[in-house]
Amino acid sequence: MDQYRRIQTAKKGDIHIVLFKDKKILDDTVLDEIKTEINRLMGNASGPDMLLDFSNVEFMSSAMLGLLGQLHRKVGAGKGRLKMCGIRPEIFQVFKLTNLDKLFKIYPDAPAGLAAFEA
Amino acid sequence: MNPDASDQPATPAVRASSGVDVVIAEDSRIQAKMLIRRLTEAGHIVRWGETGADALALVRERRPDIIVSDIEMPVMTGYEFCKAVKTDAALRTLPFILLSTLADPIDIIRGLDAGADNYVTKPYEPEFLLGRIQSLLATPLDGAESDAEAATLEVTLAGQQFRVKAGRQQVLNLLVSTFENAVAKNQELVVANGDLSVARDNLQRTNAELTELNDRISQINAQMVRDLEAAAKVQQSLLPAAHVTLPSTHVAWRYVPCHSLAGDFLNVFPLDDEHAGLFVVDVSGHGVPSSLMAVTVGRFLTPKVSDQSLLVRQGADGRVAIVRPAEVATQLNRLFQADEFSGLYFTILYGVLHLPTGRLDYVSGGHPALVRVPVGGTPEFYPVEGFPIAFVPDVEYDQQTLQLAPGDRIYLYSDGVPEAMDKDRQQLGDEALAGVLASTRARPLEESVGELLQRVEDWCRPIGPLDDVSILGVEWRP
Repeated sequence: MDQYRRIQTAKKGDIHIVLFKDKKILDDTVLDEIKTEINRLMGNASGPDMLLDFSNVEFMSSAMLGLLGQLHRKVGAGKGRLKMCGIRPEIFQVFKLTNLDKLFKIYPDAPAGLAAFEA
Repeated sequence: MNPDASDQPATPAVRASSGVDVVIAEDSRIQAKMLIRRLTEAGHIVRWGETGADALALVRERRPDIIVSDIEMPVMTGYEFCKAVKTDAALRTLPFILLSTLADPIDIIRGLDAGADNYVTKPYEPEFLLGRIQSLLATPLDGAESDAEAATLEVTLAGQQFRVKAGRQQVLNLLVSTFENAVAKNQELVVANGDLSVARDNLQRTNAELTELNDRISQINAQMVRDLEAAAKVQQSLLPAAHVTLPSTHVAWRYVPCHSLAGDFLNVFPLDDEHAGLFVVDVSGHGVPSSLMAVTVGRFLTPKVSDQSLLVRQGADGRVAIVRPAEVATQLNRLFQADEFSGLYFTILYGVLHLPTGRLDYVSGGHPALVRVPVGGTPEFYPVEGFPIAFVPDVEYDQQTLQLAPGDRIYLYSDGVPEAMDKDRQQLGDEALAGVLASTRARPLEESVGELLQRVEDWCRPIGPLDDVSILGVEWRP
């Protein structure tokens, strides 16, 4: 079942796992679609636990950080937890440059990210 | 009746009261099926041969009332089939209709020579063929007209002479059928012509509508271009004067938006007699939404005492009080509460330089590191912790202090500099940035800043920078 264009979703327990399909998240159209699809996934659920998997992403614009910020607040508002994983060094730079590596919970890969929800 | 049942050529069918027995010769299965269905629906009995030879066998097996034959067929053409029927004494009075595309007038001569009584040109309306069958059966061929009476006619067509042996009745029938074909085709032409004029009228109307729409789009576009130009002008007003003069300092800056409207802006200005304020702001994204946010942010970052200014306020003693950079950032973050709709945020590096002493107090909201380049020394990066503005609600920002030595240069810039991408999407990086600043240390500040921009633009060839590029250099010379 593949109801989304930009993201691939799975669920482990109550945790939504969102894998970004795009290699490049650069232009506004892609960004808007990702935003729409994640909002659709979240629906009315308030603050579900969510793990964002960036392992496909090779290039990312800083505008994507804005979307992550929105998600961070939305998930946090519902007492959910937002974690990220699979961020390659080039992408990590974007987080580091803006200090957001300290705001977001970032893990090497999906298993590590999922394990962190158990802790 | 199931048309599939008619697939079998020799399957006898039940004869309807008004129906006649028709043999058809047609090598196209699809065309045969259509013809069979139409004839069957009209109450006729149909037998089908896939070639002239097959059809002739059917005719010989049981004499039909009429024959309808295609011309182009393998094994035995329609002409050959026709000739075989017409030269058979027992069959020659059978009405024979040739289905012709009549691509060439010679086809008529060939038909005459083959002894055909009738032509129906393809493509034909089924009704037309049915009507033709009825009229042919109503005027049976004169069986008495013997082969001997058939005159040998000489016909010249396209410079070629043909000798055709044809009976009077046959010629007459053929002529009438040709004429009827022409009339039918003419009627089709008249209808088609009518359709064409309707289509032409529609086209003209649609064209007029399109032209009108196009005019409106041009108008809207012109309006948008005017609006964008106006917005760009407002944005330009956020920038410093071309040559900024401050006591004890040299200032140089470059600003290259990647679109007409940018998310970046920078400024440097005196806050009072002893202090200068300087900043670079980078709103995420590009285009109209980002530039609108930039303009809004810019209105708060003004050195003029007002209700809006976050940088200065009227002190109790009537003098201008300079707001600490950390408080400026905290206030900005409070004002620009996370915008749930746009997801826009911005980074800022804001500093207050005390001109007599070279003390720089500064704050960073997720902005790239401040760089200091001492006289004859290597560039030093001063990364600062602090989240981008409008990212995390209600956080307090901390400020740092940097004591400049005489001749020290500091550089503020947007991420468009270190993250400038070449055609393979490799980033320029901090090392290259430091390299340019070190190598230009001995040259005037203006040239150093110009060189850094040049480096970014060279790096991004041939596409050009994909992000706004802002660079602000300040050299302290007490």
